[in-house]
Amino acid sequence: MSFKSAVITFPGSNCDRDALCYLKDLTNGEVHNIWHEETSLPKVDLVILPGGFSFGDYLRSGAMASKSKIIDEVVKHANDNRYLLGICNGFQILTEIGLLEGALIRNKKLKFLGKNCFIKKKFKNNFNLSIKDNQILQIPIAHNEGNFYCDIETLNLLKNNEQIAFEYCKGEFSNTEENINGSIEAIAGITNKKKNVLGMMPHPERAYSDFHQSQDGRLIIESLIS
Amino acid sequence: MNEELILQHGLTLDEFQVIRKYLNRDLSIEELGIFSAMWNEHCCYKTSKKWLKKLPTDNEIVIQGPGENAGVIDLKDNDGIAFKIESHNHPSYIEPFNGSATGVGGILRDIFTMGARPIATLDSIRFGLIETEKTKYLLNGVVHGIGHYGNCIGIPNIGGECEFESTYDFNNLVNAMAVGHVQKDKIFYSKPKSIGSLIVYIGSKTGKDGIHGASMASDVFSEEDEDEKRPSVQVGDPFMEKLLMEGCLELMSSGLIESMQDMGAAGITSSSVEMASKGNVGVYINLDKVPLRQPLSAYEILLSESQERMLAVIDKKNNHKVREILQKWQIDYEVIGEITDTKRVVFESNNKKVVDLPVEIIVDDAPEYDREFYIPRKRKNKDFDFSKIKLEDMIINLLTNLNYLDKSWVFDQYDSTVMGDTIREPGQSSGIVKIHGTQKVIGASTDCNPLYIRINPYEGMKYTVAESYRNLIACNINPLAITNNLNFASPLDPNIMGELVLSIHGLKTAAVKFNTPIVSGNVSLYNQTNEIPIKPTPVIGMVGSNMDLNKINTNKFCEIGNKILILGKQLTKNCSPYLLQDQKIAFNICEFNDLEVLDLDFEKKIANCVLELSDLKCIMSCNDISRGGIFSALLKMQYKDMGFRVKVPDPIDLFCEYSAGYVIEIRSKDFEEVTSFLTNKCAEYLEIGEIIKEGIEINSKKFDYFDIMNKYRNDFEKIIS
Repeated sequence: MSFKSAVITFPGSNCDRDALCYLKDLTNGEVHNIWHEETSLPKVDLVILPGGFSFGDYLRSGAMASKSKIIDEVVKHANDNRYLLGICNGFQILTEIGLLEGALIRNKKLKFLGKNCFIKKKFKNNFNLSIKDNQILQIPIAHNEGNFYCDIETLNLLKNNEQIAFEYCKGEFSNTEENINGSIEAIAGITNKKKNVLGMMPHPERAYSDFHQSQDGRLIIESLIS
Repeated sequence: MNEELILQHGLTLDEFQVIRKYLNRDLSIEELGIFSAMWNEHCCYKTSKKWLKKLPTDNEIVIQGPGENAGVIDLKDNDGIAFKIESHNHPSYIEPFNGSATGVGGILRDIFTMGARPIATLDSIRFGLIETEKTKYLLNGVVHGIGHYGNCIGIPNIGGECEFESTYDFNNLVNAMAVGHVQKDKIFYSKPKSIGSLIVYIGSKTGKDGIHGASMASDVFSEEDEDEKRPSVQVGDPFMEKLLMEGCLELMSSGLIESMQDMGAAGITSSSVEMASKGNVGVYINLDKVPLRQPLSAYEILLSESQERMLAVIDKKNNHKVREILQKWQIDYEVIGEITDTKRVVFESNNKKVVDLPVEIIVDDAPEYDREFYIPRKRKNKDFDFSKIKLEDMIINLLTNLNYLDKSWVFDQYDSTVMGDTIREPGQSSGIVKIHGTQKVIGASTDCNPLYIRINPYEGMKYTVAESYRNLIACNINPLAITNNLNFASPLDPNIMGELVLSIHGLKTAAVKFNTPIVSGNVSLYNQTNEIPIKPTPVIGMVGSNMDLNKINTNKFCEIGNKILILGKQLTKNCSPYLLQDQKIAFNICEFNDLEVLDLDFEKKIANCVLELSDLKCIMSCNDISRGGIFSALLKMQYKDMGFRVKVPDPIDLFCEYSAGYVIEIRSKDFEEVTSFLTNKCAEYLEIGEIIKEGIEINSKKFDYFDIMNKYRNDFEKIIS
């Protein structure tokens, strides 16, 4: 059975095309692009909330997008135990909707960070099945507010329920940072309790093609399809 | 009309008399505003036009040369590349964040106005010495502004340059360049097609920001002006621009638009006048219909430079469809006038014609000056004393100079990988992106050597063009065309005017030789404050291509054990201006020797060798040699903790500048093939060493690799914080 997927576009999304290409090139299945004002979502295996600056990031990153018409359908999709992936701004939207815990605050150094980062998997879930323990992935980040924060009780819950999917780490060579944006416990991505919803700050859709600097971003789609 | 009012509008009394005589009546205040906006340097190039006309602007690949919103070149099949560079110098000094952000916004609009989707931005930014009180504030604001706008709208920033030098203390420069991809059969021009078509206003509402921005940009500054002029700086909203871009591109691809103009410098005035002039038609606009953010007079509406606004011409029958698409993108839209056959520009407000002028007097009769200029005296050459120079000190001099340090602090604030097509990010000799859905790549580089140009404007400009050329060649990118941004001080000073004239001449010589025509550009004059003129800074943005993305070179070391070869010809140490300046041997501009004449045929010969060897897959990595010589080039090439071991007759040679200079990395097994190829081509080469792990060795002297690399990578941030 072929793998079906969809990408939601909000006004100000700017990684929607990248996410569409990522899915088309790696899943070989149907890929839909859904405008935020739609009120229905086709039955698909995976929905991506892409990166960007939805609604200009006015108010708070992801806050306005979390009130879009399509969001009810996105929540239903997640409640049906199907996969939902929020990348960068998409992660911010997922925390604003309340599908994921915590919040993303400004980077430790208060500056936008657009560079390669290194991550490895923390707890196993269906999004990182194909990734080996201690395997270091090189994937670009591009965000102003990617510093994951939550209170200590929530953090304990995330750990106890094994909801931390990815954490930042040092790369193989000198001059790379342990925790690039200051996230609590270097968290780069978390899932919900049922582990069918993942939010992550790094952009796997910018690291999959032969001409990209790294192809590690493939592993996420490969994990879901396998 | 009183003289003071005329002068306040930036017109000379002579210029005013020309208008007065032509019209044979008094002008309304709105009409005076129009001439103020259209007859300044920024809009009508009155000082530079005579010289710009001499530039080569056409060849077999040019689809659109200067005169439109951006130049367009042919990239085979149905692919066209639109690109242009533009300055936002004065606004970025007064309000660095918004000034630079709107610089990016403006240049992106120039690109998508042509029907092209922007695929990359670059920049060229220059600041005063870091010790100067304001520099840190300006640097932070400008980088933040460029990043904010580009990151939000989602166009990758793929490269640029950043220099610190004392003459920019009170006149920082911010030049932004954008590159777009357009289908050749879907290019849009500003010329309207038919009489009776509707003129429509698309985008943000008009407010008071930016009134007289274009005439401000054509003014000399004094320090006290700063606070007073801040309201003339536009405020940008990249989210709005993103919607506007998507909306306009959708309108254009749906075939609903006849022509389009960005309301940039001088706002609705400039865009409507240009439209009328290009189409040899008239325009009628009812200013009461213009969407406003706040109550404004007709005069203010005409001169507002509010951002994220477009003026388009559409067929009446498409009105409804256009409105529908723009509503989806939540963009304001209003029919404000129509194309007429009068060849006059008519603006109405409150049922009164406030402007009624023939297009001819505004555009065709705009002033053009042949200003007096001096040619610099020939320099007398002398020998400098290098006897006290030690290798260790030379390295320290580079590692304590911001101009040599790794600029990651700057470009890490830019999103360089959005759109998923980036192949080479900032920090490499040129930025490279893929044309979406093809195997073709576009490379681009921005460069200028102000010190060279001050020493010898003609030769210096040749070196500047050659540097851009080498930056592309090093990546195996075939150079195609140029956009330029001529930043100079006041042309009323014949010495400055001489620099302008001679550097344009140098640009012409190099562009003809390299077959890289100038297809777009911008001039920014009067960059001086408190009588201190900036160094002449004619920035080049060069664009090139390779039809096969698998053939491009990296600028980073590939493998330990590979050999390091040098191509090109070293400039003598007495004639290496940056060596003399940065090693603190020459201090005053009058001390420098003249530049060596740059042999452009030699440049081409060596470049062709690099291109051919690259296609043969013999080059593992390559970097051009520029400021800081071989040593600086090697530092830039370090990667994954790989360093270098080199041997040279005189260590000073490692810091000298070059003509046609390249560092190339080759495998030992290719050494024979490469060297016999070069010998056959009569291209001299120098084998200087090899790539080693975690080490830097010069003439058997070992340096602490991690100490040097830490300084190189991290001290920029320490110094500017």
